[in-house]
Amino acid sequence: MSNSQTFNPAKTNRAHLGRKRALLHVVIFSTLIVSWETGSRIGLLDPLFYPSPSSILNSAWTIYVANATIWYHLYATLGLVFLGFLAGSIFGTGLGAIVGFNSVVRRFLKPYVIVLEATPRIAVAPLLIAALGFGSASKIAIIMLVCFFAPFINTLSGVVNVNEDKLELFKSLRASKLQILKKLVLPEAIPVMMAGERLALTAALSGALVAEFIQRDKGLGSMILIYTRNLNMASAFACIFTLTVIGFLIFRGMEWLDHRIAFWKNEAGLARVSTKRARKMEGF
Amino acid sequence: MDKSIVSDDVVVRANGLGKSFGEGAVIALEKASFDIKRGSFVSLVGPSGCGKSTLLRLISGLIEKSSGSVQVHGDEVQAPRPEVAMMFQKATLLDWRTSLENVLLPTELNGNVTREDEQKAADLLRLVGLKDFLFSFPSQLSGGMQQRVALARLLQTGADVLLLDEPFGALDEFTRDRLNVELMRIVGEVGATTLFVTHNITEAIYLADQVFVMTPRPGRIAEIINVDFERPRPLSIQTTPEFNKLVAHVRDVLGEDH
Repeated sequence: MSNSQTFNPAKTNRAHLGRKRALLHVVIFSTLIVSWETGSRIGLLDPLFYPSPSSILNSAWTIYVANATIWYHLYATLGLVFLGFLAGSIFGTGLGAIVGFNSVVRRFLKPYVIVLEATPRIAVAPLLIAALGFGSASKIAIIMLVCFFAPFINTLSGVVNVNEDKLELFKSLRASKLQILKKLVLPEAIPVMMAGERLALTAALSGALVAEFIQRDKGLGSMILIYTRNLNMASAFACIFTLTVIGFLIFRGMEWLDHRIAFWKNEAGLARVSTKRARKMEGF
Repeated sequence: MDKSIVSDDVVVRANGLGKSFGEGAVIALEKASFDIKRGSFVSLVGPSGCGKSTLLRLISGLIEKSSGSVQVHGDEVQAPRPEVAMMFQKATLLDWRTSLENVLLPTELNGNVTREDEQKAADLLRLVGLKDFLFSFPSQLSGGMQQRVALARLLQTGADVLLLDEPFGALDEFTRDRLNVELMRIVGEVGATTLFVTHNITEAIYLADQVFVMTPRPGRIAEIINVDFERPRPLSIQTTPEFNKLVAHVRDVLGEDH
């Protein structure tokens, strides 16, 4: 034992508990996989609809490595998500800002916003295809439609709900309108705007899949549909798990970006930037 | 009133100053007349709705008067001006700025920030006792420390008329006492004319050269009381009979509710 001062029973207990939990996770996960595998081998699960984990892995190997068909579709889907998100997010954020800064527009637009919010926007997808034809344009339009709303509403509320006390401070300091916008309204709106972008990107992924279900020319959505139709469930599952990973990476990526940009909303960000600013201004 | 007799010593002058809202339906402040001398400390005390905050906002130029006149340095107040600065009950710091950057805000809004401005801001933060927190963010500071930053920012404006709207009202009593003592020292040091709004009678008398006792419905100045205790004033002065006589007198003016 080192010495009595550094010995911390609470901390040791916590570490012990952490190991125990990790072990439990491994046990539960392995049990799940092993029973799934056995279930499908002994015929308890119909392998036609519930392919065994080993056959999914096998299919994954085929589509990723052996004939490498998935890459083309993966790029297609990711490109679609990116472009659709970009378009929807710029449109939503821009519209939110315009509406937010203009109280007259806001008053007359409100009923339409409520109607739009109540309508499942994906229902309009077939109409968009009818109007824009098959191809990337209608797919991007579908994604735009499903993902513009969160940035729109969040930018709007971020801009409208500016802190009255701080506004009064800026006025008492004779700040110009532009200064109030740049130094108060926008920074204050950033955290809620970022939350909107996060929602939009997740929605963009779902939107892309729906667009690809409807137009089965390329992309992970069309792959899933075609594999399922050919009763190649193992490959369909491999695609679905690919989407799980993409969804996870999107979530984590946006979280990382959010913590970077709205750094003052989390402890670690505050500590990091505080140290950086102190170093920049050394000598005070 | 004849303008020629306004002495140089008067920094803020109000004459029949009034403010009503909703086309005269609510009278927030009725016919206030007073002179405030250079370097003096004035407390405005009274219950909610007595017009204390309204009076501060009229002097700051944040709201427009309905009647009468209010002058700062002999000019009628029309809009916020550089000689007048205000501090609020909430610290109103910007969460994404360090203490130093928050204090520099007034300078930044009025032009470029020089090395001297940064030095001045750092010195002010030391003056309010935050020398180790120049690069901390508001959420890393306690409520009392946040108000200290706000106080440093107030002083950074270089204004010689300071309007404080219950600046320590949201803090616990101990922190508040300590900040009051420091506030007296600091405004004495910079020689500013100060108007201080509070609910607290003891605090009002302790800090001030003059106490404006205000009553509600309609909001008006019921009495102006001179406080002649010598400075610096120890906290213990609050237990002397003379002090308590003043407290009793203010309570009398405020009426039954207090």
